[in-house]
Amino acid sequence: MQWLRDILDKVAPLFEKNGKLEILHPLYEATDTILFSTDEKTESGPHIRDNIDIKRVMILVVVSLVPCYIFGALNIGYQESLTFGLSSDWKTNLISGLLKIGPILAVTFATGAFWEVLFAVIRKHSISEGFLVTCALIPLTLPATIPLWQVAVGTSFGIVIGKEIFGGVGMNIFNPALTTRAFLYFTYPAQISGDKVWAIAPDGYSGATALSIPAGQLDANAVTLLNNASINTVFDFSWFNMFMGWVPGSIGETNKIIIIFSALFLIFTGITSWRIMIGSVIGLVFTALLTNLLSPYSSNAMLTIPPHYHLVMGSFLFGTVFMATEPVTSSHTELGKWYYGFFIGMLTVIIRSINPAYPEGIMLAILLMNAFAPLIDYFVVKSNIKKRMTRYAQ
Amino acid sequence: MKEIVLKKGHNIRISGVPSTDSQSLITSKKVGVSPNSFRNVKPKLMVSEGDIVSIGSPLFYDKTKPKVKWASPASGVISKISYGARRVIEKIEIKVNGKDKIINDLKNIENLQDASRNDIINFLLDANLFHLIRERPFNRVADPDKKPRDIFISGLNTGPIAVDLSKIINENKAALQTGLTAISKLTTGKTYFTSSQNHNFKNVENQIIFGQHPAGNVGIQIHHTKPIKPNDIVWTIDAQHLLTIGRLFETGSYDPSMTVTIGGSGARAPFIAKVNACVHVEDLIINQNLNKQKIRLVSGDVLTGQTISQNDFLGFYDSTLSILNDTVKRPFLGMLSIGNSSTKYSLTRAFLRLTDKLFNFTTAQNGELRPMVPISAWEKVLPMDIFPNELYRAILAEDIEEMEKLGIWECDDEDFALCSFSCPSKIDVGRVIRDGLNLIEAEA
Repeated sequence: MQWLRDILDKVAPLFEKNGKLEILHPLYEATDTILFSTDEKTESGPHIRDNIDIKRVMILVVVSLVPCYIFGALNIGYQESLTFGLSSDWKTNLISGLLKIGPILAVTFATGAFWEVLFAVIRKHSISEGFLVTCALIPLTLPATIPLWQVAVGTSFGIVIGKEIFGGVGMNIFNPALTTRAFLYFTYPAQISGDKVWAIAPDGYSGATALSIPAGQLDANAVTLLNNASINTVFDFSWFNMFMGWVPGSIGETNKIIIIFSALFLIFTGITSWRIMIGSVIGLVFTALLTNLLSPYSSNAMLTIPPHYHLVMGSFLFGTVFMATEPVTSSHTELGKWYYGFFIGMLTVIIRSINPAYPEGIMLAILLMNAFAPLIDYFVVKSNIKKRMTRYAQ
Repeated sequence: MKEIVLKKGHNIRISGVPSTDSQSLITSKKVGVSPNSFRNVKPKLMVSEGDIVSIGSPLFYDKTKPKVKWASPASGVISKISYGARRVIEKIEIKVNGKDKIINDLKNIENLQDASRNDIINFLLDANLFHLIRERPFNRVADPDKKPRDIFISGLNTGPIAVDLSKIINENKAALQTGLTAISKLTTGKTYFTSSQNHNFKNVENQIIFGQHPAGNVGIQIHHTKPIKPNDIVWTIDAQHLLTIGRLFETGSYDPSMTVTIGGSGARAPFIAKVNACVHVEDLIINQNLNKQKIRLVSGDVLTGQTISQNDFLGFYDSTLSILNDTVKRPFLGMLSIGNSSTKYSLTRAFLRLTDKLFNFTTAQNGELRPMVPISAWEKVLPMDIFPNELYRAILAEDIEEMEKLGIWECDDEDFALCSFSCPSKIDVGRVIRDGLNLIEAEA
């Protein structure tokens, strides 16, 4: 690859100070360091440094998302053949799915890169690798049927309002990918809220996500409703099938095995917090058991969803593993991460159960806890300060 | 006896560790002292070029504490005094000839057990060696007019390529005991000697500490024994300097010899040597056959040391000369590589690592400076009850009140060096901690 190195070295002066393309220096720097790593040496502090850097952290998260994309493509094709009543093999499923995902992914990355480069150039900071993860996450949270212009608008909103106006990666308060999702959810509910077609289906076909089946139903058992739906529709909403992911839903959320493996990978590499993940699962199970206990006193069918169904329905696991653990917007203290995770799990069930208009609670739960994460940290740090002050007073 | 067990920390597996079997003796032709390497000292020279000095005779004193004078680590002729910007005295070079020592005509303290605090302080001041004692907070030369709450000595080095103190301690127990007996008189509190094993020294509290680096840092040991509060003063002494003090009380004269390690991934033949304090660096690397353009010399360990040139001298408080390859490799698509034990070193498992072999570190930063993305990298290597993240932000905001609440008094930059090492955003946390301390020091 010496030829490429030579080319980069040759054009380098154009992008340096007083060069003709000085304004595009962030773009050159990003290309140079993505292809060949940085040539910077230590100047102050430790003379040697760990090999981990933000590029590696971000790229590992992107790598962990690849299996979700592959299964997402397979599932899109599968759901399509199911609703059209066609028989198909995995190859045609995969191809038809990739043809759906490809444009969404391309639009997301093009929009995301545009804003990231624009802000880097105007505000003279380097291009942050964080946008790779944001852009890789956005398509996975969307249904395959989403119009592409909405993807572009949503991504723009997420990147600009969710991140850049705060100063870029590291300064943002809300998870930019989820900001995109929330923006689309509230602005274009017809395409994304879950009671309309999620699978690619013939016109007028009413497909739905697992969560929208018991949502708003009265005096019924959620599991019975799901079983009925499995009989009455072409979709199979049994627990095992939802765990395996062959149900309608957002592109990346359905297969729980893949998400669990990605979670284990991220925890093993040491770049993601297992405390948040475990905390939110505990929060979800605890609250679901509580709503099950209360269900006889209410007609709300959502209260009857057992914890193990909650775990495999909707995007809970996907959100917990990839969204809640985003280091910048989550709690920063180790103890705070437990609380942060627990409340996410708890709020997910509460939003799912109490508000039938928002059958998917994880998105709002994470965004809400993003806002409260600094408060959790405040109390954790305060207890440390209090301990110290008592010692000082002695 | 107290045992301290640390769970957090990391011993860096750097290559170029000298074998402990042999120890060479290096007699240097030149030694040098850098007055500006002593924090907050305003030096006033007591010698000029051409003067003849003996071991122990004063070179300069501190204008802010005129009682504290610096002993010459060698006997010979002042060959050169070099100045930097604003006439800051950078180096005092001494051409060594002979081994004359100043014999303290002073009443050698006959019965150390009965000596008073003032006797000991005056003895150290008269020997021009009071700067062997440093004070916390701020890690600067101690003030003889202040009374320390406690005194701490670390009998354990955990830094990369550090001198193995256990051997030195076991071989010099008597002299160290003399030093400890004398030093323990300086405080009304306790004197703590912390090591990896119980050495059963008298007149002090013996402590054992288990754990990885920075377990050997005295700041960590203070934190886990009795943390520093505002207005507390704690004195610290290097174990090797304690030996110097012990010998001073035994013989009445200054023995400037010390054990140093020369190693690091750039060293061809790492070794341990007995040298004069403030030894000329060139004398240490003469047999290394180094390509001087492609290496970086560091006085001290690779985590906290200062870059120096071969014409400089080893820092007064340093006992390691680290040599690093000053080169950066730029592999194509390096950020996607799986990595292996010889190309990548990380405290995370972001790269494949099958063996724990020693690693050839270079001065590569391995990434660019980025805003903080807190993946708990700092917390995993900081064995203190401190929130580094919050403290860092309080310092950036220059919020002194918040810094105090978060425990800045208990901190020193060397304890945060591993945080800087492992930070994925390449933030120099240690320097920020030092900035915070400087801010407080300026306010005080």
